[in-house]
Amino acid sequence: MSSLANLEQLYDEHGQALFAFVLNLLRHEADTRDVLQELFVKLSRNPRLLEDVKDPRGFLLRLAHNLAIDLVRRRAARDRNYEHLASENVALFVASDSPDEKIFAGSLDVALGELPPDQRAVVHLKLWEKLTFEQIAATLDISPNTAASRYRYAIDKLRERLRPIYDEIK
Amino acid sequence: MNSDFEKRLQDQPMREIPRHWRAGILTAAQTPPPWWREWLWPCPRAWAGLAAAWVVIFGMNLATGKSPYRSTHATLAVSRRELQALREQQQMLTRLIFPAESAESQPPKRTPAPRSERRKAVIIG
Repeated sequence: MSSLANLEQLYDEHGQALFAFVLNLLRHEADTRDVLQELFVKLSRNPRLLEDVKDPRGFLLRLAHNLAIDLVRRRAARDRNYEHLASENVALFVASDSPDEKIFAGSLDVALGELPPDQRAVVHLKLWEKLTFEQIAATLDISPNTAASRYRYAIDKLRERLRPIYDEIK
Repeated sequence: MNSDFEKRLQDQPMREIPRHWRAGILTAAQTPPPWWREWLWPCPRAWAGLAAAWVVIFGMNLATGKSPYRSTHATLAVSRRELQALREQQQMLTRLIFPAESAESQPPKRTPAPRSERRKAVIIG
């Protein structure tokens, strides 16, 4: 298989997951695209990068996370920190026709943006990538206990923040 | 294990990656890097370190205030002096070994006339 076909396959299999994860982290669409492009450029220039990797999705998520952190650090002087980026209004979820769903999705979007980036990353990997705490720990280079505690803190904050809307539409 | 609330969050579908990104990202990934980047790529830190070392050397050189031009001039001046001393030594040796020849070869020295032979200014009043 040619390297282009390999890249296309990787993009088709993991592009969506990487997009959602990086967008949730950075809350900025153009930056998300930059990170994805950098990731695929890296894969193209180092074809052996994935050679002995057992879990390509986990590896790519980790790579994307590191590139996103690097990008935030590079732009620290301009954007100060993650929190500034998180305040940008970026749609993370599919727009629904139902008004209740629309309100819930919008509120969840905002509530996620208010979480510290470390907690947001863990919540994303747990809820939308369905990773175990061990896998999350390996992806983010933290201990499983740290991953679990960050997740619990984040869920408590989200529950608190979304309780009125959640109770209403339940 | 997950609460209803967590399940509710999980069910929230994520937005899809824009379709037009695919071609752009894959094309960019296939584009070869510029030659200078490829040249620096294997060890950019090493090159940066080398460049920094040169900057430090240049800075130190400037700080000492001795330019290569000046030092060359100093060397030249020293070598001229040495050359002159060498010539004088050679002449002295020649005079010592062949005193007659050296006397002939040298122009006769003009000895000053005795004071008494000096013309006297006569003032006629």
